[in-house]
Amino acid sequence: MSRLFQKRLADKLHPGDSIVSLAFLASLAIQPANGAELEVPDAWLKPAQTASQLGITSFSQSAYLDNRDLPPVEERLPDDPIVIVPLDSIGTYGGVANITHEDRGMFIPPEGIFTIAPDHKTILPNLAESYAYNEDGRELTITLRRGLKWSDSHPLTTEDILFSINDLQLNKNFMPVTLPDFIGLEVIAIDDRTFVFNFPSPEPFYINYMAQSPEYFLMPKHYFREFHPDYADEEVIAERMEELGFSDWSAFMTTSMQRRLFPDLVNHPTTSAYKIESLTPGLYSYERNPYFHKVDTNGQQLPYIDAIEAQDVREPEIAVAKASTGQLDFAGVRLPTQDIPLLKLGERTSGIKVNVWNRLHGSDLSIQANMNFADEQKRTLFADVRFRRALSMAINRNEMNDIIYFGRGTPRQVTVVPGSDYFEPEFATAWAQYDTDAAEALLDEIGLHDVDGDGVRELSDGSPLTLTVEYVDTETPKQISMELVVSYWNAVGLDVRQRLIDRELQYSRAISGELEMTVWHADRTTDVLFPINPDFWVPRKLAASLAMWSEWSRWYLTDGNLGEEPPPEIRQLQLWADELATTMDRDRRIEVGKLILAANAENVWTIGTVGLAPQPVVTSNRLKNVVESGLWGWDIRYTMPYHPATWFFDQ
Amino acid sequence: MSELRELTPGQLAWLKFRRHRLAMIAAGSLIFLYTIAIFCEFISPYTPEQRNSRAINAPPMDVRFFDAEGQFNFRPFVYDLELTINPDTWMREYEEDASTAYPIRFFTRGEPYEFWGLFEAERHLFSVDPNGPGYIHWFGTDSLGRDVFSRVLYGARVSLSIGVVGVGLTLFLGVLLGGFAGYLGGIFDSAVQRMTEVLQSIPTLPLWMALSAALPAAWSPITTYFGVTIILSLFGWTTLARQVRGRFLAMREEDFVVAARLIGANDQRVVFRHMLPSFSSHIITTATLAVPAMILGETALSFLGIGLRAPVVSWGVLLQQAQNYQVIVMTPWLLLPGAFIVVTVIAFNLLGDGLRDAADPYSSLRQQ
Repeated sequence: MSRLFQKRLADKLHPGDSIVSLAFLASLAIQPANGAELEVPDAWLKPAQTASQLGITSFSQSAYLDNRDLPPVEERLPDDPIVIVPLDSIGTYGGVANITHEDRGMFIPPEGIFTIAPDHKTILPNLAESYAYNEDGRELTITLRRGLKWSDSHPLTTEDILFSINDLQLNKNFMPVTLPDFIGLEVIAIDDRTFVFNFPSPEPFYINYMAQSPEYFLMPKHYFREFHPDYADEEVIAERMEELGFSDWSAFMTTSMQRRLFPDLVNHPTTSAYKIESLTPGLYSYERNPYFHKVDTNGQQLPYIDAIEAQDVREPEIAVAKASTGQLDFAGVRLPTQDIPLLKLGERTSGIKVNVWNRLHGSDLSIQANMNFADEQKRTLFADVRFRRALSMAINRNEMNDIIYFGRGTPRQVTVVPGSDYFEPEFATAWAQYDTDAAEALLDEIGLHDVDGDGVRELSDGSPLTLTVEYVDTETPKQISMELVVSYWNAVGLDVRQRLIDRELQYSRAISGELEMTVWHADRTTDVLFPINPDFWVPRKLAASLAMWSEWSRWYLTDGNLGEEPPPEIRQLQLWADELATTMDRDRRIEVGKLILAANAENVWTIGTVGLAPQPVVTSNRLKNVVESGLWGWDIRYTMPYHPATWFFDQ
Repeated sequence: MSELRELTPGQLAWLKFRRHRLAMIAAGSLIFLYTIAIFCEFISPYTPEQRNSRAINAPPMDVRFFDAEGQFNFRPFVYDLELTINPDTWMREYEEDASTAYPIRFFTRGEPYEFWGLFEAERHLFSVDPNGPGYIHWFGTDSLGRDVFSRVLYGARVSLSIGVVGVGLTLFLGVLLGGFAGYLGGIFDSAVQRMTEVLQSIPTLPLWMALSAALPAAWSPITTYFGVTIILSLFGWTTLARQVRGRFLAMREEDFVVAARLIGANDQRVVFRHMLPSFSSHIITTATLAVPAMILGETALSFLGIGLRAPVVSWGVLLQQAQNYQVIVMTPWLLLPGAFIVVTVIAFNLLGDGLRDAADPYSSLRQQ
């Protein structure tokens, strides 16, 4: 904890003013990705303590909820609510936060059975009171907190979890293809708070999955049973669906529970800090969930802010303009790195603060050459490690860092973040040095010579070689990066065309292996997701983001029935990934993870450029308790470790 | 009698045109712009894709004659710029370093280029410090450190030529269809008239957009260029065709045409020897006034991202890359191509105005 922080706290906490002791508030400085120190209260790194543990006996609520014909706050809270220590100071109630549609997943992160700590690896219980694995990792017993309630006051019990898994995830009508993480899963309820998962193989990381994808495990049965064919009358459901504008119940359910940034297209009971108040096309209004299960150290029920108005802002530029002119209280998801100076300009005039976080992307670009491409010549070329190394070494990453990232990113390959247990510095630097001579020597060695003297290399049989990169310009600065990358490749004599394509097209062509080369961004780089989803390093999934080895993935997914059998070194990756996800031996786990990453570093199956890039996160000056730096990305559901429920407005 | 010099119609028109001051200035500017466009490889100090990573989003540089001590230098120079990224504002700040001056040198060797795609050359009209770290960007640079001045020049070639090529095509279609319609009349005339009406009744922008969207993305930049030109001309010829037809209809019955026909001149001779010359001035004027419409059409399409595409550099493409909030606040010099478009369009309109007056040298006499 910084001295400044301690002083500020000491100023705030006069003796007797609060039940919180300073010792409890001691905080740890964590080394995040960029090397800067991230300061968070120590309590955020450990399972949250409960009111009874801290001796909090009286609870209070926001004036917003007074005179609302609600039961008293003590009855709405769980029997022993968990206590969240605010970052800087105890907040006061009130206010309406203005954000954009796209940022509502960041302002209102999901509240699941587990949550993620700000060290980006530890999984902490949230709605769960306790959990325990058996020795071989095939059985996970979880006990929910006593007295949890949905936002409509209905009790949250094991019924809801059984419904989510048995009636949705394992229901063939709803999920024709069961998600890999649910195959063979058996769930048994012991009582209304305790349930047991029985896995077909050891699942030491299942809690990671439950923390990162809470939507899959928590659907309010009492609400959705009215729409489920196993519980309700088909005709009644059809009528309801027509009213709500959905084609059938499964489309409705899918929309309701999709694990995505914007989970709330359907107004169903929630466990989050806010619930939908009204939905209009231009404006989504939220109000506080009166049954939210967390309190602060003074016994005030969280969240502090009463309501949220999320405007529909389609154009990223408008989002930037609104953020920089102080029209938003919080903005992040649509703000590009390149606009940081513009946003900073707003700091002087518009009453905003520009926090610079770091994207957890191992690299903002994962450049992929399709090793399963239909064209025999290209496929052979892309499968040649010398070619991929040459492509990688021809890239001037330092210049890219200077031009696009103000020199504040980290030139690196596609690998995990430095804070990860699986990280070794050479994974990030292997074949990442800028060396055009070495690159050209490798290209010569493969037999790509400039036969006709036009400055462009031809294939070894003299036929022209043109590489086509097709991609979607989304999330990270791909287009400007690719302009640079293409110019670097041109400089070593490669003819490269690039084309922007539609997201749907990217998806369908990536999973069918029709993209010659493409670009995506590489997340899943923290210890939350890497062990369960090492997708950028092992062919075991079909996705828009993974176009370099679709047929090897298909082979893995279909147990060898479809796709192509991968070569031994690739097969080895798949075996390692299986072991990584299932071994209960922590040392072996780290060893296998490093083996996977070392093989990738050596073989450059996907090429990285610059990672851990600066991400502007703009807050209005009146919004308090927001961390100044943090990691930004999907692995940790953006703000989940940083407790947005404790953000408040300074009056 | 021999003292009295007779003036040909051409000389008369020239005399008249010279008196139109604005048109003269416009003509001068256009000649200047087209010369630049023709020799853009040579005149620009850099190639359009050349990057200077030491000058990202650098503002226009001052070209100086007086140094820090107030001493006059005959040879203009620029000061070295020092780039620092302000740690608080994240702004790239460029500060002039008065201790290092780079004099502007002419006919220097620089980045090699292919002149008109014909032969390799590396001489540039001017530059500073060709082999050293010095640079001159007197229109500033863009977000990749490319020289805006050079890009504007290369853009001029595409944008200005698309106007002329497009109008050439328009003229060809307009005169051909309008001429035949007027001279032949009958079914052909009706057909052309109806086609004209249909084409004129369709709002152009959505139609352009639809057609541009249909241009295959795999087309090379040069084919796309011609594709866009053809799209623009396909809808530009109707007005001209109507005018030409009207003229033909009116003139068919004029005494000199009737006389020529009576003497026994064939159709071809009547049309090309007698009728066309009598309103060629009118055609030229119409054509001149049509050029800016073409240029604006290209700009509009490219600005919307459906016309020419990078790596082709046109003024429209440059503006398309500058069409965001950030540019207006942070790097307004990227909007300079817009100024060039405005100047060009005004110049063409003034020139057309002057030509219209000059084409009818007796108009002012008639008014009196």
